[in-house]
Amino acid sequence: MARAILAEFASPEALAAAIRRLRGDAHARLEAYVPYPAPEVEEALDRPRSRLPLVVFAAGATAAVLAYGLQWLLVAHLYPIDVGGRPPHFPLAFVIITFEMTVLFASLTAVAGVLVLGRLVRLTDEVQGTDGFESATGDRFWLEVSPRDAGLDEPATRATLAELGALRVVGAGETGGAP
Amino acid sequence: MTRDPLLVGQPTDAALADTLLGTTWRARGWGWGVAFAISGGLTALLAVCVTYTVTTGVGVWGNMIPVAWAFGIINFVWWIGIGHAGTFISAILYLFEQRWRTSINRFAEGMTLFAVMQAALFPLLHLGRPWFAYWLFPYPSQMEVWPQVKSALPWDAAAVSTYFTVSLLFWYLGLLPDLASLRDHAPTRRRRILYGLFALGWNGKASTWRHYRAAYLLLAGLATPLVVSVHSIVSSDFAIGLTPGWHSTIFPPFFVAGAIFSGFAMVLTLIIPTRAVFGLQHIITERHLDGCAKLTLVTGLVVFYGYLVEFFLAWYSGSPFELSQFFGARPFGPSAFVFWTMLACNVLVPQLFWSRRARRSVWLLFAASLLINVGMWSERFVIIVLSLQREFLPSMWAAYAPTWVDLGILSGTIGFFSLLFLLFLRFLPFVSVAEMKELRHELAGEGNHG
Repeated sequence: MARAILAEFASPEALAAAIRRLRGDAHARLEAYVPYPAPEVEEALDRPRSRLPLVVFAAGATAAVLAYGLQWLLVAHLYPIDVGGRPPHFPLAFVIITFEMTVLFASLTAVAGVLVLGRLVRLTDEVQGTDGFESATGDRFWLEVSPRDAGLDEPATRATLAELGALRVVGAGETGGAP
Repeated sequence: MTRDPLLVGQPTDAALADTLLGTTWRARGWGWGVAFAISGGLTALLAVCVTYTVTTGVGVWGNMIPVAWAFGIINFVWWIGIGHAGTFISAILYLFEQRWRTSINRFAEGMTLFAVMQAALFPLLHLGRPWFAYWLFPYPSQMEVWPQVKSALPWDAAAVSTYFTVSLLFWYLGLLPDLASLRDHAPTRRRRILYGLFALGWNGKASTWRHYRAAYLLLAGLATPLVVSVHSIVSSDFAIGLTPGWHSTIFPPFFVAGAIFSGFAMVLTLIIPTRAVFGLQHIITERHLDGCAKLTLVTGLVVFYGYLVEFFLAWYSGSPFELSQFFGARPFGPSAFVFWTMLACNVLVPQLFWSRRARRSVWLLFAASLLINVGMWSERFVIIVLSLQREFLPSMWAAYAPTWVDLGILSGTIGFFSLLFLLFLRFLPFVSVAEMKELRHELAGEGNHG
């Protein structure tokens, strides 16, 4: 089975230049692994904006409706008691918990969203353990050409990457080889 | 005007990572051990006092009638206020793109979490029967009695638990890239496995960063109203009561300003020794201390304004009860020295920070921050105890004194807070390494280091 090709670069600028070049060469399935989000890399990859905020908004709005509804159910409907002459359904007093629950569930959704969309909460993946790949969380910038990339021709792609200044070019999961 | 650098020298990414991640595995000297032993001792004292309180009852505290709220609520408000600076730094300064927050946000978020944990202990113990605390949450039961959301107590429960959860999420999300970095770079296999488990498989994929950045921005936006709301809700506990000295519309903004004020003082108290012990003066620079000192001054002035307005409102109300509270009980009544301590620490001490030299003198800053911590604790004592000692009828008047259990629990929470903080310094990178690298990259792109 074909495997992904990984190339290590010394700087985000070099990585961004490589991405632009490969994209120009009709490589469609590229991914970067970076220690911090460098704007030039994001620009070169030209991905659409994350849709996470929409999900978070929906979660927050749902939580608000449910929190208000629950308060109404408990305090106005199931167990109405007179506190200081206020009516059983007293919106002003319900606002605070409604607000708090909105923030709580929106935040939980935001973090859960990163974990789900980033396919996290796992021990390892296909690229972890590749020779030298630990520098991707250190000070190096990695490019991945997916095996499903239509333009992938392993020897040619490797040659292009080396020519673009890659410090090393390895197959995903490759260990023990010389850089 | 030239500004001091945010990052002294031009460390490479590797050097930054080594310095900042290295705090988790380098030998830590005897200072950490001594501090750990002292905080461990105080934590043990906390355990003793809490056990005594729970097994015997809150009667072992100094609380009485009319001062039914005393140390428990003073400490609650004090601790939760301290947390606010952490959220202010991590959320509000992020939204305002204040780059000096980067070196101190993780640190301040840790402070928030540990402070909120101490705070949450007090309402729980004050219940008298803490094992019934879950009655505050709506759950179906055969009692068919539900929490009464027209009372301020469920508001507090919702506000504090949301605040803690959101702070924890924010802190942990920020930690993920650094945990992954530790998984890949820590020196021993055991550490790599342990950090690897907590890193949840983070691999720095650009597509994950995209969602991560969106989520981080959202959390900053969501945490921002929390900075304002949590202490406003806490202040409602007082403001909705009729006690002279409490029943005032100034309370929410006054409490929020006081919270951020005390929080910045605590950030200074913690960060000054930490940067010295770990030798991080080039990362947490004088510019950062200067920034914290300026915000302390600004919030201190808002607090001072709050004091003036309180006195003005009392005078303007013409109510004999308010007048006697503000012009009799506070300056001259029982425990009046706490009122004068509050004024000295919260009004006079921050005025030092008008001077640029004072804002850069580490010792002076440290001493001032300790005094402000004392001052803000005194403020809560004044609001709670001095008000309750002198309610409407002279037949209700009394003088409050804490017991050894009150003092033990207060010092115990200081110890427990320090214990958690020391563990945090020891086992986690307390400066965000990924964000520092990003900052370094940005600064290098601008061709300067300021």
